[in-house]
Amino acid sequence: MKSLHHKNRVVKVRAPVDEETIENLRIGDRLEIWGSIYCGRDAVLPRIAKLFEENALDKINIHLKGAVLFHTAVSIAGIGPTSSNKLEIEENIPILSRAGVKIHIGKGALKPESLEALKRNNAIFAVTPPASALFAAKTLSQRIVAFKKEGMEALYEINVTGMPAIVAIAHGKTIFAQPPLS
Amino acid sequence: MRQGMLTCEAISEAAAKCLVKAGTTFRKDQFEAYRHAIENEKNRNAKWVLETILENAIIAGKMRHPLCDDTGIPHLILEIGDRAMLPPGWLSAVHLGISRGLKVMPGRPMAVKGTIVERVEQSKGLSPDPAKVLPAPVTVKSVRGDKIRITVLLLGGGPEIRAKTHQIFHRRSMEGVLKQAVEWARAEMSRLGCTPCVLAVGIGRSHAESSNLMLEAMKEGRLDRQNSWEKKLTEWLNETKVGPLGLGGKTTALGAFLKVGPLRASGVRIVTVRPCCCIEPRKATVELKGTKSPD
Repeated sequence: MKSLHHKNRVVKVRAPVDEETIENLRIGDRLEIWGSIYCGRDAVLPRIAKLFEENALDKINIHLKGAVLFHTAVSIAGIGPTSSNKLEIEENIPILSRAGVKIHIGKGALKPESLEALKRNNAIFAVTPPASALFAAKTLSQRIVAFKKEGMEALYEINVTGMPAIVAIAHGKTIFAQPPLS
Repeated sequence: MRQGMLTCEAISEAAAKCLVKAGTTFRKDQFEAYRHAIENEKNRNAKWVLETILENAIIAGKMRHPLCDDTGIPHLILEIGDRAMLPPGWLSAVHLGISRGLKVMPGRPMAVKGTIVERVEQSKGLSPDPAKVLPAPVTVKSVRGDKIRITVLLLGGGPEIRAKTHQIFHRRSMEGVLKQAVEWARAEMSRLGCTPCVLAVGIGRSHAESSNLMLEAMKEGRLDRQNSWEKKLTEWLNETKVGPLGLGGKTTALGAFLKVGPLRASGVRIVTVRPCCCIEPRKATVELKGTKSPD
């Protein structure tokens, strides 16, 4: 993919994602994501991170190399981003990036430590609006991968066609700036 | 039962429909606020976010699909006319209607199962039944007339992480109190994620009362009818330039809803601030005549 620096370009991304694709993304790029992506949040991400550190992810058939991970529940009400800065989600972004996740999708500003970890692992963070009705039209299928007991917070894999997101953190740069307090 | 009297079934059905409407439908003032924000927004990514939220609302309304997958915790405000005649079991009928509505919409199945500790630790998983999401304690108010009004508000989790109830030493300055309140919100804006927000503020005598006033502010507030203080709150938030989803731009807040209750003779005001997310306040009201069944 050719590197472009101008803002507001639309980039089609197919999951799983390779290193070069990530290298060429910039903050402000608008993504259309295609293919199979993982969905998980507070209840399962710490457990997946632990399994990775124990070298046991293959045992439950989770493959994170090049993965896109959407911080969302999956339920009859649809999908939509949860706050990625919740403790159990954000503290596992570094580990899951090391495990191979290339695009983390969610919402809300992240800490500088997360920004550094993303950069170190050539991974990015993208944000998307809570557009559940719209996402429903872009979701072809869904299945539970692991931790079924967690209900809507289980680890899911969904197949999406052109799911929209915007790159918020990439290569040490962020769109988020803390507003100055008066 | 007197012929023509309001029935529990009518109450239940009305409450169910009200919940579905609150969770799937943008109100006219929301549509107008978004269209206005899109016109004024220069940041192209911010504009795209606003357009996407609007597109989502149009699809949700047409398909009767939840606006957001976090369908929220139902909060109910019941206004009961002092001449309304209600059937025995009317409050249970409201609750039954809420659970019916959660099944129909459908609500997100997010009721945490188990004993006290199991619920806190979320160690027993979640119920698959959306109707198990119980409403928060109900607010009941007496009003004049023979009608009852049921208002359903659906409060999502993101704003709850960012909301705050705290005391402010007012120093006899309304502006000082509101500036302090908005300062809390400004500090949370970029971490909220789901901007543009609508800031809901309640000012009262106790933490419970100010929270309730904040809820009433959400119920009563309209984005097309903002008083001068609400406009100031919005301006102060928009000065942050956090913008939609934190992408920058002019539209950090679409508006603000403020409700001030009776206050204590003291130097202190108890203030609740909740930055409602970009699809909130999700609310709907249904009115029933308390002397005969609605047509």
